Formats: sequence, C-alpha cells, structure tokens
Amino acid sequence: MAIVSAFLIPASALPCMKPDNPPWGRLADAMETAGAALAESKPDTIVVYSTGWFAVLDQLWQMRPHLQGIHVDHNWHEFGDLPFDIRIDTELTQAAIDSANEKGIKSKGVDYDQFPIDTGTIVASHFLNPNNRLPLLNTSNNLYHDWEITRDIGALVAEQAERLRRKISVVAVGGLSGSFFRHGIDISEDRISSVEDDTWNKKILALIEAGDSEALLAECPDYAAAAKVDMGFKHMAFVQGALGKQLSGGKVHAYEPVYGAGAAVVEFSI
Amino acid sequence: MSEGEIVAGYLAPHPPHLVYGENPPQNEPKSRGGWEQLRWAYERARASLEELKPDVLLVHSPHWITEQGHHFLGVKQLSGKSVDPIFPNLFRYTFDLDVDVELAEACCEEAIALGLDGKMMRNPKFRVDYGTITTLHMMRPQWDIPVVGISANNSPYYLKMEEGLEEMDRLGKSTRRAIEKTGRRAVLLASNTLCHYHFREEPEIPEDMTKEHPETYEGYLWDMRMIELLRKGEVKEVFRLLPQFIEESFAEVKSGAFTWMFAAMDYPEMPGELHGYGTVIGTGNAVMEWNLIKAGLAGSGLTAIA
Repeated sequence: MAIVSAFLIPASALPCMKPDNPPWGRLADAMETAGAALAESKPDTIVVYSTGWFAVLDQLWQMRPHLQGIHVDHNWHEFGDLPFDIRIDTELTQAAIDSANEKGIKSKGVDYDQFPIDTGTIVASHFLNPNNRLPLLNTSNNLYHDWEITRDIGALVAEQAERLRRKISVVAVGGLSGSFFRHGIDISEDRISSVEDDTWNKKILALIEAGDSEALLAECPDYAAAAKVDMGFKHMAFVQGALGKQLSGGKVHAYEPVYGAGAAVVEFSI
Repeated sequence: MSEGEIVAGYLAPHPPHLVYGENPPQNEPKSRGGWEQLRWAYERARASLEELKPDVLLVHSPHWITEQGHHFLGVKQLSGKSVDPIFPNLFRYTFDLDVDVELAEACCEEAIALGLDGKMMRNPKFRVDYGTITTLHMMRPQWDIPVVGISANNSPYYLKMEEGLEEMDRLGKSTRRAIEKTGRRAVLLASNTLCHYHFREEPEIPEDMTKEHPETYEGYLWDMRMIELLRKGEVKEVFRLLPQFIEESFAEVKSGAFTWMFAAMDYPEMPGELHGYGTVIGTGNAVMEWNLIKAGLAGSGLTAIA
C-alpha cells in the first residue's frame, strides 16, 4: 500500500505561535510526536489537505516546486510571523490533477510567486516536516465540495501514489467543534466553548480510538451539524477516501481547545 | 480641531476581474479588457471622489476574515504583492499603501467603547487582502489618500444574521464617532457584491464577455429590486428586506460592510446614485454613491445643493 502513515491535526496558528500557553503547548507537543511518527514511517511524500486553503471554482493543487516566505495569520498577527519553506512533489500532484479531471472533479494547479499559502498548511509543514525534509502534495478545500467529492479526492490521491509507487503520509488539517470565543479571554483558561461541543468531540475521538469506522462515519453528519465542525469535518472525508479500508482506528495524541474551538492531534493506525 | 464628518459612502465591490480588465502597471496578468460597464462605473465614482477631496478612505472588506474581533490596519505603511487565492491567474498586484493610523486607533477605541472587540493590526509583514486592495484601486488608483482597513469579523455568519448585522450597525456608529472626534473628512467604501451566486467554472478566456451573465434570474431580480429601492432613497425598506435578500440571493452584503457603511452615515433616506451595474462570473455588482455633501447632510452649513 502507498500509505505509510496518516494524521489529523488542527489548522490553528496558535499551537505554533504561542506554545507557552499550556493547552496550545500540549497540541504543539503532540504535533511534534506526530512528526516523529511520520518520519519513522519513511514516506516519500506528505499529502496535505488543508481546510484553510479555500477554493471556489476548481479544486486547486499547489504546483510551484519550491515555496518560501513569511506568512502572517489574518487573525493572530500579534503573535508574530510564520516562516515557511515547502517543496512540492509536482509529479504526484500532476498525476492527481489529471486523475481528478478524468473523474469529473475539475482541477488545476497553481504555480505563482507569492501565492498565499494557508496557515494550516504552514503549521503542518512546521511540525510534521521540519527542515523541509520531504516534498508535499498540497491541495485545497473547495467550499462547494461535499463529503463524497472530498472523499473521492482523497481516494484518487492514494491511487495515484500507488501507481507511481510513492509511499505517502496523509495529513488532514482541520479543527473539531468550530465555536470560537468571540471575545477576549484569559488564554491560560482556554476551554471548549460548550459542554455539548466537548461531549461531541470526545464521542468522535473515542470512536476513532475504538477503531469503529462504521460508527464513526455514520456519526459524522450529525457531529458536523451539531458541533459546527470546521468545514463540516471534510478533512475526515479526505482521510476516509485516502485510507479506504485501512481506516481502522487511531491514537489521539492530544485534544485541547483553541480559543473555544476543538482541536486534536490524531495518528491513524496503518 | 474642527469636528470631522463622513462626506460620502460608496458601494464598491471587489471582483479582481475589474483590475485585470483595466491592466494597471501594478498587476502582472494582462487582459484584453472586459467588464467595461463596471469599470466605466468606477470611472464615474473616481471622478466624484476626486471632487470630494477626502482626507481618508475607510474600507471594510469581507476577505480579511477575523474570528475574534474587528481588526484595523495599524501600520503606517504596508506594501507587498497580493495574489488572489481564488483567481491567481487574474490578480497578482504589487501594492503600497499609507494607513491613517491615528484614525484607525480611534475607530478601534470607539468600537470597544460600544461593546465590540476591537484590535489593532501592528504586524508590518501583514499582507493586505485582495478585497481591500481591489476596492481601493478601483476607487483611487493613484493611492495618494491614506486608508483605514477594517476586517470582517464573521459575526453575521457566526451569530444569527440579525445579531451579526446589529454588531455591524454598532461598528458603523463607532466608526462615525471616531471620524467626528479626529476631525477627518472621510469617505466610506463598502466592499460588497450583491447577489453572490456565481459560475462554477471560469470561461476559457476570462474576459470573454459573451460568457458573462447573471448566474441566476432570481438573484438578478433581487439585485434590481434592491438597487431600485436604493435609487429612490427607500433605505428603511432596504434594511427591512436585507435578511431576506441575503438568504435568497446569497448576497455578500451579509459580511457586513453595507450595514457598517449605512450605520456610519446614519441611514440617510436619500437617493443613491447608481454609477453602474454588471455581473462578474455571474455575481451582481453595483457601484453606487451616497454623496452627503450634495444631499446637504454634510459640509459647511449642511445646505442641500442637489
């Protein structure tokens, strides 16, 4: 199989930029643990699907071979800058674009100087690919794609990796419950914004840990609606599509709030 | 210091296609034109702005999204290259703008005073969003008037729509107070499209106007209904219908700029001047002006000349 490891990590900039705050620091530590597990799985390429990269017309795929720069988060600009240095596996990406277009998912590559890389992709690269060791396949979250299309995109990436004999690590970047605190808080006392959201998050993470994929997937639509999950939890659909029958549980390295919203670092069992 | 005032407000939508169609030197991609009706509408708006001679342009953009609070650009000079994440093939624009930091700080303080969360953006490496840049370029391509950039706190999406729009009403009122206290002659720019249903695929030649039309007939009808009310000055009716308009036409005014601008102007029941309407990948865009000087609602003596 092409997939040697798979992870779900949060898209928020906070664990990266403010790890001295205990809840966010625990997420940062967990992402470092995930990074070590990823390295140990020895992939050729890291596949990053980020909910923070919005697409509207087509499914967009990063095709610039080397991206370097400094990103400032639109919301958390006071905590500093996010430098990035990312290489792209353009061969695998082009294969995925061609495959997607053949399957009727209109896709195109982007290859532009200063194209705005989203915070989630940069956070994933920072923690899971330190020193830009491995190339990425980086694709977007088309806001009009539903669970099924997103799942199909995950599946076609895995198919193309298999065809090209690439070993890949799949990284889905996105949050859990999506209700942020809208007003300033004492960040050291950050918590999930409601008991209901917390209960839902824990239920879903428990289903992941139990390896009950059928129950997990059955609950996702209700979870997405009830807990206002980040982008309808489509990042999980990408994981489902990529892993297919390999989706069989995982370990939750951390579950914490990021300004009231839910965030988890999950390593799926492969 | 004499008391400041808002001299005009403009509905000034931000499809990057308009910059692409114009071919300014700041934008890398080059076109063979396109969207002329809207670009000519902006030419008329530019001429009226020139006559107003404001001290500052304030722009509220839906593409600077902030989940926590209403943010204000707070760095004196910002520059860089803005690449549209949706249309990178059309918009790769080198910008260089001056910020009226004193007014921005006043806007932030007044927002906080009215119970909103306000925050200054002080990071000099911050990249200004393409909505702000497109609106500002289309209104004033000389870039010689300082600006105040305001983020779209996603309150109308996150809260119930009426609650979110009520926050935008407070943001507008606080902006007005800040303008008055700092003595500025200010122009407000609401960077919003009307009906926001759009094509799912881009035409092969983006500027091929034989492909341009409203995405939905219902959305088009809504746009015409709202524009007609605005042209007649029936502002109360516009705001009564606004939630329904937003729901049924997926209108981008939901992001709040339109409400912010009207609240700041105290919802004047005056006819708006339509400079032009056109679609961009199917969305409905109107360039409109509410000139408070001409209406006698601003300026020395507050005497109507129109």
